[in-house]
Amino acid sequence: MARVAEDDERAFSELVRRFQGRVMNLVSRVLNDRECGDDITQEVFVRVFVHRRNYRRGSKFSTWLFTIAANLAKNEIRRRVRRRNWFSLNALQEVLKDSAIQLADPTEGKESRMEREQLQEAMGKAIATVPEKYRLALVLRDIDGLTYEEIAQVLGIPGGTVRSRINRARGMLKRKLIPLLRREGEP
Amino acid sequence: MKCAQVVRLFGAYWDDETTQAEREWVEAHLASCSSCHKEYEEFTRTLELVGSLPRVEPAPDLVERVLARARRSAPAADVVPVRSRPWVPVTAALALTVIAGSLALPWFGVRDDARRQTATRVTAGEPVRLGPVSENGAPALKAPAGVLPVPGHALVAAAGTANEPDSLFDHTEDVEFILDPVKVQRGRPTVARPPAVQGEKAVISF
Repeated sequence: MARVAEDDERAFSELVRRFQGRVMNLVSRVLNDRECGDDITQEVFVRVFVHRRNYRRGSKFSTWLFTIAANLAKNEIRRRVRRRNWFSLNALQEVLKDSAIQLADPTEGKESRMEREQLQEAMGKAIATVPEKYRLALVLRDIDGLTYEEIAQVLGIPGGTVRSRINRARGMLKRKLIPLLRREGEP
Repeated sequence: MKCAQVVRLFGAYWDDETTQAEREWVEAHLASCSSCHKEYEEFTRTLELVGSLPRVEPAPDLVERVLARARRSAPAADVVPVRSRPWVPVTAALALTVIAGSLALPWFGVRDDARRQTATRVTAGEPVRLGPVSENGAPALKAPAGVLPVPGHALVAAAGTANEPDSLFDHTEDVEFILDPVKVQRGRPTVARPPAVQGEKAVISF
């Protein structure tokens, strides 16, 4: 990052290559939208470049990077909420129901690719229905694998709040997925 | 009650953040309570599903697109982060309002009223000359053209501290300012007749 701050384009290119996957994964999972995730990932790195001289040496780069990504994802969620361009809970329940039926079908086989994709799609949509502040903490912890301390720094909240948000997010997600999980468990 | 406590510890147990005693207590409870055991199975399955979601891979040309946009972007200036104070904009707005108001007051005729309120009050006694004194003892200040002088009132007042400066400021300059000829040009009465002397005091207004 020190080289990037000194306008070293090759260093910046290397930085983007190294972190693009994690940023893309975080933003896409939070938004459940790959296209938008691509746009925002691009924006994240452009902001890193524009603000390269404001990066405080000594602080962890990935924390700074995820903070920018989380803020942009939050802005996007709020923009969508304002526009009400968001799928309804009923639509999600339909998807979950369909997925559960598919999984319960013995002729398909639980490990088939189609089932797995449907399950993942349902899971992605279920995550997207968790309220924003819980969702970000959940994705950072259970998908991106950040520690509680790192999440506290990224979101700018105390560690205890991080734990409570993650617990609540997990509980919400479990409740949303119960129909799917119970059907999955049936013979 | 015990089940609810165990359910609350599921997250910490999954993250291996419980104490040894808590872990043993949760495990003992899960072994004996089928309801909590089922709850925990669903909890772990949920987190396994979340964790097993495939990574969303970026497009191959993302790096190039980022670089192209970055080249067009100018770097932001070095910024020292300053915590914003919510009262600053409020204070600034109030200050602007006061300044604008004070500038606008003369145009609404408030100026004369304000002057009347701040009229000079002096105590009776020796006459004091509010301005440079000429050799013959008459006030050097002349009323501007168009202003009718009021003998004995407008420029000379009675006071007990004749020719003694009562502050560090030069009051002669103040008098010149009060006799602003602009008042004449605007056609307003410039010299208000002071009230008659009552007892030993006189109030003179300009």
